[in-house]
Amino acid sequence: MVVGFILSLLPTPSGLSLEGYRIIIIVITALMMIITEPIPLPAIAIYILVFEVILGINDADGIAHSFMNDAVFFIMGSLMLSVAIIKQGWDKRIALGIIALTGHKTKNIVFGFTAISALLSSFIGEHTVAALMLPIGMTLIRFTSQDKEKVRGLSAVLLFAIAYGALIGSIGTPSGGGRNVIMMSYFREFGLSISYIEWMILVYPLVLIQIPIISWILIKSFVPEYDHLDTGVRKLVVQVAKSPEMTGRNTVAAFIFLLVFLGWVFLSEFFGLGTIALSGVFLYLVAGFVKWDDLSKNTHWGVILLFGATISLGANIKETGAALWLAQNVVHLFGIWMDSFPFIVDGIVVIMTTTLANVLSSSATVAVLGPITLNLGENSMHLGLVTAIASAFGYFTAVAAPACTIVYSSGLVTAKDFLKVGWKAGIVSMVLLVLYANTYWLLIN
Amino acid sequence: MMKILIAIGSKEYSAPTLRVGMKIAKALNASTTIVDVGEKVSKFNAKVVGLAQERMDSWEFDRPGIDVLEWAFNFLAENNYISPKMVDAGFPKNTLVDTGGNRSEVYLKGTVCEDVQLILRNGNIIEELRNEVKSGKYDVTIIGGSGERRMAHDLVQYIDSSIFVVNQFNPNQTYRLLLAVDDSTGTKGAIKFGVRVAQAFNIDVDILTVSKVDTFGKGYKGAAERAGKMMGRIGINYQNLYRVGEPSEMIKKEAGDNHIIVMGASSKNPLMKFFKGSKPLKVMEDCHCPVLIVK
Repeated sequence: MVVGFILSLLPTPSGLSLEGYRIIIIVITALMMIITEPIPLPAIAIYILVFEVILGINDADGIAHSFMNDAVFFIMGSLMLSVAIIKQGWDKRIALGIIALTGHKTKNIVFGFTAISALLSSFIGEHTVAALMLPIGMTLIRFTSQDKEKVRGLSAVLLFAIAYGALIGSIGTPSGGGRNVIMMSYFREFGLSISYIEWMILVYPLVLIQIPIISWILIKSFVPEYDHLDTGVRKLVVQVAKSPEMTGRNTVAAFIFLLVFLGWVFLSEFFGLGTIALSGVFLYLVAGFVKWDDLSKNTHWGVILLFGATISLGANIKETGAALWLAQNVVHLFGIWMDSFPFIVDGIVVIMTTTLANVLSSSATVAVLGPITLNLGENSMHLGLVTAIASAFGYFTAVAAPACTIVYSSGLVTAKDFLKVGWKAGIVSMVLLVLYANTYWLLIN
Repeated sequence: MMKILIAIGSKEYSAPTLRVGMKIAKALNASTTIVDVGEKVSKFNAKVVGLAQERMDSWEFDRPGIDVLEWAFNFLAENNYISPKMVDAGFPKNTLVDTGGNRSEVYLKGTVCEDVQLILRNGNIIEELRNEVKSGKYDVTIIGGSGERRMAHDLVQYIDSSIFVVNQFNPNQTYRLLLAVDDSTGTKGAIKFGVRVAQAFNIDVDILTVSKVDTFGKGYKGAAERAGKMMGRIGINYQNLYRVGEPSEMIKKEAGDNHIIVMGASSKNPLMKFFKGSKPLKVMEDCHCPVLIVK
């Protein structure tokens, strides 16, 4: 607040409207509050909305309109779907599937964990996958050795395979994460459109390329103590076998999710991803697979409110011309290099997005940076996809992404472990993305 | 009945804190609670972490921190500080009862014990301990000597109970008690606690009075004499030491590494303490032995 007050006393930078300057002040103060959490998250959301009106960025109806769109519906729907899915207990089935695919060799299991986490998170969201996969990983670790010190390397490699696998996969489809849907809504505002399948064609190969590379980095960074996990795997299979058989209800629950997925693929252009996600929630509630009390208790309404507020910020950054002004300044700063080396602009976007995504939430990062990066060059679709993908590179800290926080909450990996492997995974992914965007996308264009 | 809170953080370093804590609890005839404060979860991810932990429960995994509390419980039972009972009607597995505000009561599998309560909290350690002390109205909080001096410093500054920092405590060493007295309001409480601690550890007492000038005022001498009288009445061996110099430096010098220091909290307001520091904070930062600051 103090920073905001001081900034408001300074003269408006040339070329920027008063409203544009004011929205930038709100962005700076809101980001500082989101990172340091001095007040509850919903209070930050309310601060954003109230000050957008008070400072005359837009009238009350305009702000309310910018606050709620399909992306917010999607975030709300996917958080509730996540609760419904996790309550079904599919993790025990997934455990058997992984073991059947990978066998007992540790390297293969690490690859399997990364691959399954990535493939699942493309469709059901990274935090859902991390929540489902964590007990499987921990059971394998516990059955291999009860002494945590004897399985430090194994613990790290398996849990990071879950977290990083989930992050890698979350870029693969629009429904992989709220940030992808936010970017799609910005595309629409810029007069661009991309379907579910088109997104997959453009992005999914990168997911497949990253899976073996990240698995290899993990194996090299945390050397597992055991080459084979015979005992662990055997006991895991026995434990899962003790759990109840798949019932008709479980099958129906899976079928509902299949319907949601098909809806996303074939109907999202007509009804929006958010509406389809909410339809899935509706079906789960009507069929009695989840209680409203559970949904209400386990859905973070404050986070939804905050995402709505950051989306409103993003929309108003664009409307006030602040996004264009910021983008022009970036171009002015790096213009000479950007002309000589076209991929430099991708590099700038990737570094900016990854840095912010590691201290902020990835969705909030895309909501705030999206309108700016889309103005950085002529090919807005290219820049928007690079932004959305780079926002998933939250490898560096335990708080960067929900999947990372979930594995960190197990107590088996430390903040130092994130730094140890995060910079390697981060740099490799960043370089890979720039190369990929400037080769594959040009080829298929 | 007095209430004592023992804060622990790991199996490796908490044994001395537990030993000292239980001795003090016995001497004060106080009820004891052990608290472990786990990592802070970002508010952004709190709900999804909660969901993941629900899945972990279904696979019969204990939440992080329960293992530390279970170890502490067993340590106390093995060393006869508590007398737990195994009962068939107990909880079938380690159970958490969420009492709200990042706080859960922990009940260990099949065990009943009225001697000690176990609490698991998650969040910023200073904030969580402050909340626990406030809600539980504890009289003394006992913590280990953290590698991070700043943490103990903040605890002394912000927690509303007496604080015992079990810094570099060696159970095999013979300690003396160093009771620092002066004319401040905190001295009265320090003398009371000093007597109890000396009794608990069965050790002799050095009553130290430090003046910055060559003469000792009426208040200083009176405090030292009162402390001596109380010790003598209970039958504790003591000696009065009068020193001239900077109080925190003289306390550090006299304490060495073989004293348990007991002193009153500063009566300065928090703002003054923040900018200018205080005697107890300086002592706690500089001394290499356990320190009890009485509030």
